[in-house]
Amino acid sequence: MVLAATLLAMVLGAWMVSAGYHSSYTAADRASFDPGDLTLRGVIVTQLLVGALGVLTVTGEYTSGLIRTTFIATPQRGQVLAMKALIFTTVVGVWCTGLSFVAFFVGRSFLTAPVPPVGLGDPGVPTAVFGGGLYLAGVGLFGMFLGALLRRTAAALAALVGVMMVLPVVLALLPGNTGALVSEYSPAGAGFQIWHLVHSGHSLGAWPGFALFTAYAAATAAAAFFTIRRRDV
Amino acid sequence: MSSSASLATLPPPARTVSRTRRARAVLAAEWIKLRSLRSLPVTLVVAAVFCVGLAALVCSDYAGHWKDVSAADRNTFDPLTVNFGFLRIGVLFFGVLGALVVTSEYGNGLIRTTFAATPQRGLVLAAKAALLGALALPASSVVCFAAFFVGQGLLSGHVPTVHIGDPGVLGHLLGAVAYLTATGLCGVFLGVLARGTAVAMTSVFALFLMLPVTVDELPHTALWRYTVPYLPSNLGETVWHSHTTGLLTAGPAWALLVLWPAGLGTLAALWLRHHDA
Amino acid sequence: MIEAKALTKRYGGKTAVDGIDFQVRPGSVTGFLGPNGAGKSTTMRMILGLDLPTAGTVTVDGRDYRGKVWPLHDVGALLDARAVHPGRSAYNHLHSLAAANGIGRARVDVVLEQVGLTSVAHKRVGGFSLGMAQRLGIAGVLLGNPGTMLFDEPVNGLDPDGILWIRTLMRSLAAEGRTVLVSSHLMSEMALTADHLLVIGRGRLLADTPLSELIARHSAERVEVRAADPRRLTADLRAVGARVAVESDGTLAVTGMGSVGIGELAAARGHVLHQLHDVTASLEQAYFRLTGESVEYRTPVSALEAGPTSKAVPKPEAVSA
Repeated sequence: MVLAATLLAMVLGAWMVSAGYHSSYTAADRASFDPGDLTLRGVIVTQLLVGALGVLTVTGEYTSGLIRTTFIATPQRGQVLAMKALIFTTVVGVWCTGLSFVAFFVGRSFLTAPVPPVGLGDPGVPTAVFGGGLYLAGVGLFGMFLGALLRRTAAALAALVGVMMVLPVVLALLPGNTGALVSEYSPAGAGFQIWHLVHSGHSLGAWPGFALFTAYAAATAAAAFFTIRRRDV
Repeated sequence: MSSSASLATLPPPARTVSRTRRARAVLAAEWIKLRSLRSLPVTLVVAAVFCVGLAALVCSDYAGHWKDVSAADRNTFDPLTVNFGFLRIGVLFFGVLGALVVTSEYGNGLIRTTFAATPQRGLVLAAKAALLGALALPASSVVCFAAFFVGQGLLSGHVPTVHIGDPGVLGHLLGAVAYLTATGLCGVFLGVLARGTAVAMTSVFALFLMLPVTVDELPHTALWRYTVPYLPSNLGETVWHSHTTGLLTAGPAWALLVLWPAGLGTLAALWLRHHDA
Repeated sequence: MIEAKALTKRYGGKTAVDGIDFQVRPGSVTGFLGPNGAGKSTTMRMILGLDLPTAGTVTVDGRDYRGKVWPLHDVGALLDARAVHPGRSAYNHLHSLAAANGIGRARVDVVLEQVGLTSVAHKRVGGFSLGMAQRLGIAGVLLGNPGTMLFDEPVNGLDPDGILWIRTLMRSLAAEGRTVLVSSHLMSEMALTADHLLVIGRGRLLADTPLSELIARHSAERVEVRAADPRRLTADLRAVGARVAVESDGTLAVTGMGSVGIGELAAARGHVLHQLHDVTASLEQAYFRLTGESVEYRTPVSALEAGPTSKAVPKPEAVSA
């Protein structure tokens, strides 16, 4: 269900964003032309769906009380969480990488002249398209660890949306350097770099940005592993 | 623990009652439930602090960095738009609050008890919506007016400001209040349609945050012109006065802003009538 | 009085309730008995207008539940004791229900007193034990002083005191002339509580009879006899057509002849009897005979006969630390 919704969001995103772009394309756009951002814009909505899925993977068990049965069956709670993360990353990562490719090709087919042609062989493009899938899997994992940390669906979902989706909007409202600087090192600002091709002055670049994003998720994971062991179920 | 003694204490109810008497009873019941939700005042206070705080942060940032703002940006600078930027986030609090009023009954099965006590489900929905509206209206008024006065206060002396008496300003303030209240009502009805907290919250975030971020800045193709300006977030932008181009004019935007909760409410009422609780 | 006519509920392709007809009459406790998944809860939800029947009708006092203006004055129901908001107090929970049906605050205090929750009335329901939550649910049933009451598995999770309390309460409510329908999958509980039984299996009504009649009809009654000379008595009984089985301790299990007949025969032939005892089948046996065909999730016999599971399941190797 959720995976089907992600397919819809990604493909619709690629279509809505890319279709018609050629009609408004001007010479000034050439400098900032970013086929990654255009074809993969669906990532913005999809990250919400994947993140919610990650949150629910853990909090769903807390709500239903199933988590007790799970921890009785496997008292090594860290291992339970690690296995969940592994399975989640595999399934969601593979699916979202596939989606990312589909969105890229769908979007590309709408980018007709005068928009310069773009192909998978162009520099940076493979990184961006794989990066779309990686980023989505990362947001899902982030949601999952927040779920393990906070245990309640509403709280974990609010925290994930707050950090990944609200913070960028807040920072965009600020005119001074503070906003741009915080944005550069915020989880979303850093993570976004991998599926974009154009990196402005205030950005870390594809892989350094993604590394920082991963570090945020890893820190949340460490906190989750630490508390899940010590806390009563 | 015998129950026979209680037989006499309860007068037999009137079999025929006026619709207003029935509606008053449901309203009273829903009010008791609403005021005994402890998360409600907490959420409202957090929302107010966040919104006014964000408006203050943005305005003081503008006041402090005015010398860095480019001449082009100075020309398009609108003190009201900058002041009300918080609405893009503040709206989420109201939407989620509305959703939680409903989904707090679905998660634990309380909704069955509620509908067993009042099988007139449309009445229950109307009562919930009316109470949320009655709560969101003053709450959003306090938030918007406080944010306005704090924000303009911080801007004044450094950058251009507006006064509440200036033409159109009060209208946009009321527009901001209406937008937040309408979103709260949309949240209630999305809560009914989604039934679960997770799905309801995700729908609110998708409709009011992610979708606008994705589509607002796209080229204005025919597809864009027939869809994007009609999103509730963009109707809101029109009534609280942003400078996104290509949006509707104020009159139709106000009307459609009312139509969104009305439409979702109709869907929710139909859903309740035809589905098992 | 609850009346169902050809009541049917289908979810997708699965039929949960399959065209059942029944009446639940006032003045007695009617047990609604059936295995898990038989359609008891679905039927109760349809009585309360929560689920809409796919076909057929069900009415309470001749009216559709959804047409009732103040339903709690007619019908009280306990479906799920945990269906409360954990952050709300018991008092506020009941107060909102009362307000929805035009019932005054004073009545809330009365029912809280009645179920013994007065001292915790203003505590969060989230901290209640299951027994306390059941009592709160029952307070909700009593709130409108209704003539019809529905209880779905009310003794689940209760301690012996609580079970006794509910049983006594239900019997006294019925004795006041109310219609009481109580569902359970526990036959032993029904045997002690119900006067009348509706037995349901796989969505179909298997029996609609007084409890005693059900047991009588579905039990193979026999008489246990112990005599000074069992061998001679066996011969005499068989001579008049009775079937006799001799058990290992010498007790005779006689079928095809009542205890009166056996006693008279023994007196006429000069037998010394040590014991003459009618054995009636338990409700358990009658019930299994009825539902034997309709249990949805039956444990395969072979699985039970496979022996201790420790032998069947190989132990995984210990993880070397």
